[in-house]
Amino acid sequence: MAAVKAKRMAVTAAAGAVFAVSLVLSVRFFRKSPHTLVEIVQDGTVIRTVDLSAAPDETIRIERRDGQSYNLVRIENGEIFVQEAGCPDQTCVHMGKLHSDALPIICVPNRLIIRFAEEDGT
Amino acid sequence: MSTRRTVTLAVLTGLALILFVLELRLPNLLPVPGFKLGLANIVTVYAVFRFSPKETALIVTARVLLGAMFSGNPSALIYSAAGAFCCLAGMIALRKILPAERIWLCSVIGAMLHNTGQTAAACAVMRSAAPAVYLPVLLAAGMTAGLFTGLTAQFLVKRAGAGNRNGRFG
Repeated sequence: MAAVKAKRMAVTAAAGAVFAVSLVLSVRFFRKSPHTLVEIVQDGTVIRTVDLSAAPDETIRIERRDGQSYNLVRIENGEIFVQEAGCPDQTCVHMGKLHSDALPIICVPNRLIIRFAEEDGT
Repeated sequence: MSTRRTVTLAVLTGLALILFVLELRLPNLLPVPGFKLGLANIVTVYAVFRFSPKETALIVTARVLLGAMFSGNPSALIYSAAGAFCCLAGMIALRKILPAERIWLCSVIGAMLHNTGQTAAACAVMRSAAPAVYLPVLLAAGMTAGLFTGLTAQFLVKRAGAGNRNGRFG
């Protein structure tokens, strides 16, 4: 019985610790990125790099590899967001404009990532 | 497996699917890929404490497969399956050490494992560590949601008849 109790305590403590740590780490997501260079990544490869401070307004259509789905990525007034997606959940559209280093726009069904690039003299 | 048993499992699977579809209709509370309230998990938690691991696994497998079809998003199947089975394995291990008053904790840890599993699957599929950056937000939100679905399951286990752990009702 004591062994079970000890295990129970350990499990409770572990769950509490994970929750506390993730809560603290979540704060980063609300910080605005100082960067302007953005990468569009599909299937793990960078297919396009855009400098938001200099980019003209544009709509980029990105087909999924198998051609079954797509994303319309919009660049407008130095901001980037997904305007339209060919998937049912539309999470990437609801995410709105890219604003944080820690929170890239990810379209999981279409394997698309839009994120700030590390600016090291590119 | 007796007919009665098969039917009971089928009813629970149906219940889980109803909750799943209902949740699809709700507006997304947090625009983070992979975040869900996990209402269908109420049924899973209930089954973990009332049915055998094998029977619970049957319910979860059927729910994950049919859910992917009903949501019209079969490409998300691999993530939800990875999450659901990590969660299930963890909760089955936990049911031995957690009493009926701590079912909510089982659900919270299940949520944690679900989010970890789906993130790992997303990283593997996308061949990128990028999905992992969502993990802290997913965990904070998912564990909170897991607390409430867990409490719901806890009330259910307590009140749904005087059946024993093997699910004999009445």
